[in-house]
Amino acid sequence: MIAVLALAAGVVLGIVLGPTVPPALLPYLPIAVVAALDAVFGGVRAKLDGIFDDKQFVVSFISNVLVAGLIVYLGDQLGVGGQLSTGVVVVLGVRIFGNVAAIRRHLFRA
Amino acid sequence: MTEDHPKRVYTPDFLTELFRNPLDPGYADAAARKAIEGGPTGARRRVLSGITLVTLVALGFLFVVAYQQTIADAPASTKARAALVQQVQSRRTQTDQLQQQADQLGDEVSRLRERELGDAAATGLRNLEATTGLAAVKGDGARIKLGDGPTPVNAVTGERNTAARVKDTDLQLATNALWSLGAEAITINGQRLTATSTIRQAGEAILVDFQPVTTPYEVIAIGPDDLAKDFRDGYAGRFFKELVAKYGMAFDASDAHDVTLPAATELKLRVASPIPSPSAGASTSISGSVSSSPSEGGR
Repeated sequence: MIAVLALAAGVVLGIVLGPTVPPALLPYLPIAVVAALDAVFGGVRAKLDGIFDDKQFVVSFISNVLVAGLIVYLGDQLGVGGQLSTGVVVVLGVRIFGNVAAIRRHLFRA
Repeated sequence: MTEDHPKRVYTPDFLTELFRNPLDPGYADAAARKAIEGGPTGARRRVLSGITLVTLVALGFLFVVAYQQTIADAPASTKARAALVQQVQSRRTQTDQLQQQADQLGDEVSRLRERELGDAAATGLRNLEATTGLAAVKGDGARIKLGDGPTPVNAVTGERNTAARVKDTDLQLATNALWSLGAEAITINGQRLTATSTIRQAGEAILVDFQPVTTPYEVIAIGPDDLAKDFRDGYAGRFFKELVAKYGMAFDASDAHDVTLPAATELKLRVASPIPSPSAGASTSISGSVSSSPSEGGR
């Protein structure tokens, strides 16, 4: 419950502050969102599994976002462009799907 | 690390493992550790949950920023595009209007000139204008039709094979061949050619005197009676027949009867400049036809 409130607080903060993203950081934003989603769904599933761990959640969130950003940056520098980020999206997408499926089994027993 | 803690084994088949067990193994590890050592207590526990909450706030913030950025981005590009399209269209209509105005003024000028000049001088001037492309002409000649061939899209690379498109050099070759066969006046899709006309490729479009023309191209020439036949049998005709056979382009040369070719649009003096009227005024200096006509013909 508190977690949802915190999330909502972040959303409100974002709307109120309405920050402009510097253009240099723009390419990293979508991939950071995907990485963050992965951390969120992983955390929710862990919560439902009863094995949620604060430290694990925080570390996985930060490292996910950082590694995803790093891979995008690396792809840019290597000249392979979006292909590396495609790899990131595929891996994280599979994880998100799997975690959402687990959450669904928890919630609906189906 | 204690001995009883199970060592994590990474299976070689990473993707299969990923599909089977998408949850970060860290959670299971943490749970196992907690079961053995007991969870964090007191202040440490509160600090950890605080960090989690801060992370969640950051998460919500990130989502909103990303959402707003996406929303802001899409209309920006379409807005810019729409503005550009609007600008292009308004400029185009403006050009058309100005062109109409220029045509009207040109007609007026030639009417006035014919009234002021003697018959012989006026006829000479008209002939000069006809050959230089400054006046509309009427007569028989040839009609050359050229069209793009098929431009298949490569299934692998997604690129369009444009080898069968009519290039600016093709049109240049056709018009040069017509001139050399004795054509007196030529238009491409209604654009009259003069001695200084340009036929250029600009990206995918071909510009004739900076006006875009598109496929199918119709080159009409006024000239000798057997112009079309000569064109077909000449090097240009052979060249285009080769293109038809090789790339599937469309080519046709036929006789044209009683066609009217409009005057060229560009009436810019490049070398000659109007004579500054000394004292007598403009109306009287026109009667010195020798001085005014070379300036028109010298473009």
